[in-house]
Amino acid sequence: MIAVVLAVGGSLLLGNVKLSILVGVAVTAIAALGLDVLVARTGELSLAHAAFLGVGAFTAINVGSRGWAWPLVILTAMAVTAAAATIVGLPSLRIRGLQVAIATLAFQEFAEVYLFSRSDATAAGRTLPRPGFLQTDVHLYLFALAALAVVLVARRRLAVTKAGRAFLAVRDIEIRAGCFGVEPGPTKLLAYAISGAIVGLAGALLALKSGSISAKDPFLLLESLELVAIVVVGGAGSAAGIVTAAVLVKGLPQFSSTIPFTHLSADRIVPIASAGLLVLVIVAAPRGIGGVYQTVGRLLDRWLSPRGRERPDARPRAADARAAAQHAAALRSVPRRLSLRMPVPALLEARDVSVEFGGVAALDDVSLEVRRGEIVGLIGANGAGKSTFFNAVSGLVRFDGSIRYRGVELRGLPPSERSALGVARTFQDLGLVRAETVGENVLLAQTWLARYDAATGILGLGSALSTERELRRRAGLALELFGLDHLRDERLGDLPYGTMRIVEIAAAVAAGPDLLMLDEATAGLGPEESHALGDRFLAVRDELGLTLVVVEHHVPLIARVCDYAYCLESGALIAEGNPETVTAQPQVVESFLGRAHASTGGNAR
Amino acid sequence: MLARIITGLAAGAAYALVAVGVVLIYKCTRALSIAQGEIGAFGFFIGLRWAARGIPTLGWHPARFVTLLIAVIVGALLGGLIERVVMRPLVGRPPLDALVATLGVALFLALLEKELFGTATQFAPSPVGEWKLVVAGATLTAPRVLALALAAAVALATYVFFSRTRFGLAVRATTGDPTVARLMGIPVNRVYRFAWVAAGALAGLAAALLGPAFGGLTPFAMTKFSLRALAGAVIGGLDSIWGAIVGSLLVGVLEAVVGGQFRTAGASELAVLVLVIATLVARPQGIFGAEGAS
Repeated sequence: MIAVVLAVGGSLLLGNVKLSILVGVAVTAIAALGLDVLVARTGELSLAHAAFLGVGAFTAINVGSRGWAWPLVILTAMAVTAAAATIVGLPSLRIRGLQVAIATLAFQEFAEVYLFSRSDATAAGRTLPRPGFLQTDVHLYLFALAALAVVLVARRRLAVTKAGRAFLAVRDIEIRAGCFGVEPGPTKLLAYAISGAIVGLAGALLALKSGSISAKDPFLLLESLELVAIVVVGGAGSAAGIVTAAVLVKGLPQFSSTIPFTHLSADRIVPIASAGLLVLVIVAAPRGIGGVYQTVGRLLDRWLSPRGRERPDARPRAADARAAAQHAAALRSVPRRLSLRMPVPALLEARDVSVEFGGVAALDDVSLEVRRGEIVGLIGANGAGKSTFFNAVSGLVRFDGSIRYRGVELRGLPPSERSALGVARTFQDLGLVRAETVGENVLLAQTWLARYDAATGILGLGSALSTERELRRRAGLALELFGLDHLRDERLGDLPYGTMRIVEIAAAVAAGPDLLMLDEATAGLGPEESHALGDRFLAVRDELGLTLVVVEHHVPLIARVCDYAYCLESGALIAEGNPETVTAQPQVVESFLGRAHASTGGNAR
Repeated sequence: MLARIITGLAAGAAYALVAVGVVLIYKCTRALSIAQGEIGAFGFFIGLRWAARGIPTLGWHPARFVTLLIAVIVGALLGGLIERVVMRPLVGRPPLDALVATLGVALFLALLEKELFGTATQFAPSPVGEWKLVVAGATLTAPRVLALALAAAVALATYVFFSRTRFGLAVRATTGDPTVARLMGIPVNRVYRFAWVAAGALAGLAAALLGPAFGGLTPFAMTKFSLRALAGAVIGGLDSIWGAIVGSLLVGVLEAVVGGQFRTAGASELAVLVLVIATLVARPQGIFGAEGAS
């Protein structure tokens, strides 16, 4: 769509504007879209994208002037720029945001002073001949538009594939994303690489346009900052907004020498105005031009179909839990090593597990066992170590001792590998991306099942398409299972808290685990909803064959669904047995239910 | 070698003046400002303009030394204005938003300077006289000597401020938890304003000293100088005043030594880049930064 607008605009202005200027605008737009992959998807900021543009352009001239074929020239420029961006992104492995931005700033300066003043790096005096089909500016312009279209499609593809979802997860729930099979480190570097590759494409275009580049003006810090301005003013994440901003900032001064309807000189005012606008947008309208587009789109939508979209009921639908679970039985068929499919009596065996936080023992020599097909309750007061135990099993804290899952020692395994073994969990305070839809979150939870790599995902090659189809089918089943299918396209953060928690359970079940650990699943639910959730626990155990460990405060629920219960106090196990006997033991009553309940009995809440 | 180290220390001391401002703002508001260079440069340019053409309506041509005061005052005012208009509304938003906002401010100021003062390098005589000091073979011009002395003074002053004054304590409380600090009756907004005003004044001071020392300034040049201050602050630890000073001195010395050893253009920038990335990978919070401060 945007490409069409640009094409039409270009032909309209053909009378008085040189097309090569429009090629320059397209180059800026592509570079800004590349930067946006980083800013919008991973929440990192690069202040070196003009330098990366230079890396791409000079690489293209360097190899192109040696007689390489043009597709190879472009690919090489993209690859070299991607490599440079990945190296600059290395500090992001250890730290996020601000300090990494400073590292990019240091690279920008290094490139300006060192790289771009070396005659061998900039291929001084050599030219990149344009390929035969790009001899005229019209052809070059169409080629640039095609490149812009390719980038827009690639961004779309990225959004609907594993890598794009992983970027958002790393941005919002960095460490917890590991429990879905996302590897935070490689994911971040991949984002830098993809961003760099897109900017490298822009650089190659610039090189094709100019043939040889002697001035380093387009690659200076000022331009890097301007790219950031374009992304922010356009609205991070909005391709249409960013392209518009690129046309305004880069195109306007070239299209006319004065600002329309005024006598102000465009090439002097536009840069200052765009800097001022950058400040204004970030303070007053953080969603930028893209936000304006969205609002207009929504208004149009409402105007076209006045009765159209009513908000769906934000609560899960009531359903026969058992029938729904039978219907979702296909969720169980996930590829797993043979040894992980063999029946074993004890699914999870914890031996002398200890976790220390700065001298305080959060878990102290805890040993417990979870048998296959059981629902095991983990109870205890706040701070007893229940969530810490979950964190130890899922790999989010270091522990001493041993936790074996189906005989496999979990100690030392990264969280992302435990999801492949068949361990899934929910968090007490939600481990999902609130800014995304319900459906996207359930897809994210299945990351470990998506075995294709980022490139085939973006190109839509090989198994990527069929895998995504399968993941979507599974997501549908899991949502139906929990009565959430009508909420698939709702933004998670817009839903009531109790519903969000159930979405999280659905997401965990969609990942096809054998062991499901639920941390206070009923918190935020009313009594009826809690009861219904209890039915679903029993149903997924009986029909899907899952084994559940539930951290619960709701004693009647524990009594109803649990086969076995453990009670923790201050990191140590104080009781175990069947739920009735455990909750009746005096030390449990005192520690967990409180003294008052010892005399009156009754509900823990 | 010793001569180079001393020259480097003097350059690092000027970076440190900017870096202390950056850290002050970060400590108080958790925002990273890359506008400090341009805030200082703006004051420097105005001082020069007034020295040459006279202060508007007064018609008084200020003396050289007064240009330094003008830079400090304009820097402080600009800092206060930016805090009130741009940064205050951003409190509580993601830290990257604040960074982008200061980036917009830097861009705006630089382009405004270009409009108002032109792109030509603005030469300035030293505001503190033209004398030189020779130490161990290193020749230090007056602004550099003053930068060294001032960096030491600022270090001492901030130490006394944070450890001995009530307001310093308020700043430390605000750093720890703004919400709790507010509930305890600490004027959090005044802390924010103080940070920006003080950092602006320091930036003006640095520009007035660096301008002559580097043989003049152009719009945007100060942002490039302040990059080393930022590098110094990141290396030393963004939440540590001492870290900012030590980091900046380290950057200055590294630059001087590497730049002197390898004559290739960009060798010292490469060294700074490697040091920044290595620090962030090996010790993300910086040399003196508190664990988990990021």
